Amino acid sequence: MELSKRSLTIFGLGWLTSLILVGFVAGYYYMEHQNLLKKLKEYEGCIMHVNICINYGNGTMEWHNNTLVLFGCDLLTATKKVAVVNYTYWASQGASFVDAINNVWNSGRKYWMWYRWTDHGWEYGPVGADRYILSPNETIMWRYEVPQYESP
Amino acid sequence: MDCKRAALLAIMTALCVGIQLTPRPPNVETTSLICFLVGFMFGARFGALLGALTMLINGFLSPWGFAGIIMPYQMAGMALIGFAGGFYRKVLGGNPNNAANPTKILRLEVSFLAAFLTLVYDVITNIGWAIPSGVPIIIALIQGAWFTVIHVASNVVFFGSAFFILVRIIGNLLGETSWNSPKEA
Repeated sequence: MELSKRSLTIFGLGWLTSLILVGFVAGYYYMEHQNLLKKLKEYEGCIMHVNICINYGNGTMEWHNNTLVLFGCDLLTATKKVAVVNYTYWASQGASFVDAINNVWNSGRKYWMWYRWTDHGWEYGPVGADRYILSPNETIMWRYEVPQYESP
Repeated sequence: MDCKRAALLAIMTALCVGIQLTPRPPNVETTSLICFLVGFMFGARFGALLGALTMLINGFLSPWGFAGIIMPYQMAGMALIGFAGGFYRKVLGGNPNNAANPTKILRLEVSFLAAFLTLVYDVITNIGWAIPSGVPIIIALIQGAWFTVIHVASNVVFFGSAFFILVRIIGNLLGETSWNSPKEA
């Protein structure tokens, strides 16, 4: 099939158009990337990374490393960023009690307990998750277990 | 311009403005197709006039608000599309068989032309926005990239699927037997 000069010119314009559009879209994402990097730098002093592990007690463990949270963020808020959390606020305790994580509910003698990683290994969380303020780069584990009040 | 052509221009403008004002996804429009078609059927100047007039009225009535400083750019862009319709017919020359049974190449030509003209329209209107806003032109073009993609893609589909069907229908209504270039108004 032989194409006329007219067809070739028009197809050339069409290809030029698609090239320009690809350039625009690439430029758009490059700009978005640059804007996000700028924003991240802007908020560098207000955010921190934490590592959250969800241990279902059956061999399944989910690690959410380098989760980005605001400075002063409590553990419950940070956990809600990486999982679906059901909890009840107990006014008498002045803290929240986690009832379920990712639809795995406290049942029988098994509860969701949380630990923090220290120089001596895993330690039980000393307070309710919403009362515990995270530190930068802290590592936390939620474990579905029969509470034994000793290091796992 | 005689009375018939003036009446035709008024009716086509009303049609285009009506379509422009109809709720629709952003940047999906058939005004370009109609202006190109009218330019093709009734001459480049007539198509250009329709495009300019449509965008002039649309600039005042648009649900997005008064077009303001962009309006002359929109008028110029749409006028160019109307003019291109007439010019394309001139380039094609008289060939009645093509209109009744266009080849795949012709359909592709119209789709590719639609893509190019839509891009030119978007570049013109983005420049019209960038200059008074003090935004660098390249940034304005990049910021509107996805709107341009939607605009180009929808026009490629509309032109490719509907243009020659509409040409045949209008040709039959007007009793045209050939593709001889129409006399300019």
